[in-house]
Amino acid sequence: MDLLIQLTLNGLFNGAHFALLAMGFALIFGTTGVVHFAYGPVYAVGAYAIWALAVLVGLPFWAAVLLGVALTAALGVGCYLFIYRPFEISGSPPFVVLVASLGLFIVMKNLIGIVFGTGVKTVDSVAYDVHFVGNAFFTTVQLGQVAAALLVGCGIALFLRASRYGKAIRAMADNREMATVIGIDTTRLSILVFALGSAVSAVAGSLVLLRDGLNPNMGFGAVFVAFVAVIVGGVGSLRGAVIAAFLLAFVQSLGMWQIPTEWQNTIVFVVLFGFLLARPSGIVRRA
Amino acid sequence: MTEIHTMPIAEPVLEVRGLSAGYGKRAVVHEVDLTVRAGEIRVLLGHNGAGKTTLVRTVFGLLRPTSGTVRYRGEDITRRRCADNVKAGIALVPQGHGIFRSLTVRENLELGAYTAQDPAEIRVNRDAVMDLFPILRERAGQIAGTMSGGQQQMLAMGMALMHRPDVMILDEPSIGLAPNLVQRVMEAIAEVNRTLRMAVLMVEQNVVHALPIAQSVTVLRTGRKIYEGPPEPLGDRQYLMTLF
Repeated sequence: MDLLIQLTLNGLFNGAHFALLAMGFALIFGTTGVVHFAYGPVYAVGAYAIWALAVLVGLPFWAAVLLGVALTAALGVGCYLFIYRPFEISGSPPFVVLVASLGLFIVMKNLIGIVFGTGVKTVDSVAYDVHFVGNAFFTTVQLGQVAAALLVGCGIALFLRASRYGKAIRAMADNREMATVIGIDTTRLSILVFALGSAVSAVAGSLVLLRDGLNPNMGFGAVFVAFVAVIVGGVGSLRGAVIAAFLLAFVQSLGMWQIPTEWQNTIVFVVLFGFLLARPSGIVRRA
Repeated sequence: MTEIHTMPIAEPVLEVRGLSAGYGKRAVVHEVDLTVRAGEIRVLLGHNGAGKTTLVRTVFGLLRPTSGTVRYRGEDITRRRCADNVKAGIALVPQGHGIFRSLTVRENLELGAYTAQDPAEIRVNRDAVMDLFPILRERAGQIAGTMSGGQQQMLAMGMALMHRPDVMILDEPSIGLAPNLVQRVMEAIAEVNRTLRMAVLMVEQNVVHALPIAQSVTVLRTGRKIYEGPPEPLGDRQYLMTLF
C-alpha cells in the first residue's frame, strides 16, 4: 500500500514536470510547426546555466533562476533565427528542418559535455523539507513542481485566451496562411513562442536541478516526453498536452510497480503507439 | 485606344501592369494588366489553372512577382508585405476556408481587425459586420469550424470587412457551396459593394452566378489576358465558348 501511494505521488510530481516540458514544446511546435528536437538540449543548457550562476557565480538561487530563464529564452530564439528561419525563408520541406533540428540537438548535447563535464551537477545551497504520507514521502521541491505547472499553465491559458498576441498565436497555430492574410507578422510570433516555450522549459529545469541534479543527457528524455505528450494530447491543444503529460507520468510511475526502471521509455512508446492506433488525432481533437 | 465616356470614370484603386508570377521556375501568370476602379466589382474569370489565384495572391503580396508592378491608389506596392497591404486597406478572402476553424466567430472577427488599434473602432466595425451578416451575431460564441460552409464564407467576408478595406479581393467565394448558397453569397458581395462603396476583385469559375453582379470582367487563359470589358458580351453563350 505504501508503495502504491509513493508511486502515485511520484506520478503526480513527474506529471507536473512533464506538463511544464510539454507546454513549452506545444507552444513552439503547435504554433510554428517546427519539430524542435533541440528543445531538449536548450532545456538542458538552461538548467546548466542556472547551476553555473548559482554555484560558480554564487548568485542567490532565485536570481540564478530568473537570469537562467531569460538566457534560455534567448537561446531558443537564437535556434529559431539562426537555424530554422533560414530554412523557412528558402522554402525547405519540413523534413530538412527536422534533420537540422537533430543536428542542433547533437551539437548542443556534446557541447554541454565538453564545457561542464559528464558528472552530475547539484545545488546544495537550497534547503528543502521532506514531508511524509504514511511511509511515502515527498519534498518541497516536488510541491514546487506542481505549483509551477499550475501557475505556468494558468498563465499561458490566460495569455492565449485574453491577450492580443495570445489570440494571434492561436490563429497562427490554426491556419498560418490566414494569419498572414489578416496581417499577423508570423516571424515576430515565432520569436515570441520560441522565447516563451524555452523559458517554460527553464522553469522545469530549475526544479529538476534541485530534485535530481543535471547530466548532459537530460535533454533527450525531456524532449522525448514532451513530443509524445503533444502527439498523444492532440497537436495544437495545450490542455491535451498537459493531460497527456500526467497520463504518461502515471503510467510510467505505476508501471514501475511491476516493471524494472530501465523500461520507462518503452512504456511511453507503448502509450504513444496505442494512441496512434486508437485515436490518431489525440485526446483533444481540433474542430 | 481611345474611348469616349459620357460619365466620369472612377479613379483606379488597384493597377496591375505587366505582372508575371509563378512557383519556382514554373511561370503561371504572363504579363497581365488589370485595373480595379473605385466602387466597381471586377470579376476575374478563367479555367482551372488559368492563373487567377496566382494573380490575386501576387497582387496581395503572398507571392513575389517575377516582373511587373502593382499600384494601390497610385502608390507602388509591388513586393510589399501582406501586413502593410492590409493596413493600407486591401483585404483578401482566400479560397477554401479563410477562417480560423478552432476559434469562435467573435474571435475570428476580432482577428480580422488585427492591424487596427482602437478597440472602440473595432467594436463599431464588428457591429456593422454583424448587421450585414446577422447570422454572425447569432453564432458569435460558436466555434467557427462547426458552422455550415455558407456561414463560414460569410464569416470569411466579415473578417475581411473588419478593417474597412477600400478593396476586397475574393478568391472563388462560391467554391464548395450549394447553388442556392452561391446566389446568397453573390448577393452579399453586391450589397457590400453597394452599401460600403467598396471595390471588389473577385476570382470566379461560376460564370452564371458571377456575371450578374459584375461591372467589368477580365478573362485569363493559361496565364494570359484574353478578354477585358463589360460583362454583357459574355452573356452570349456562343461568344463565351470561344473564350474558354
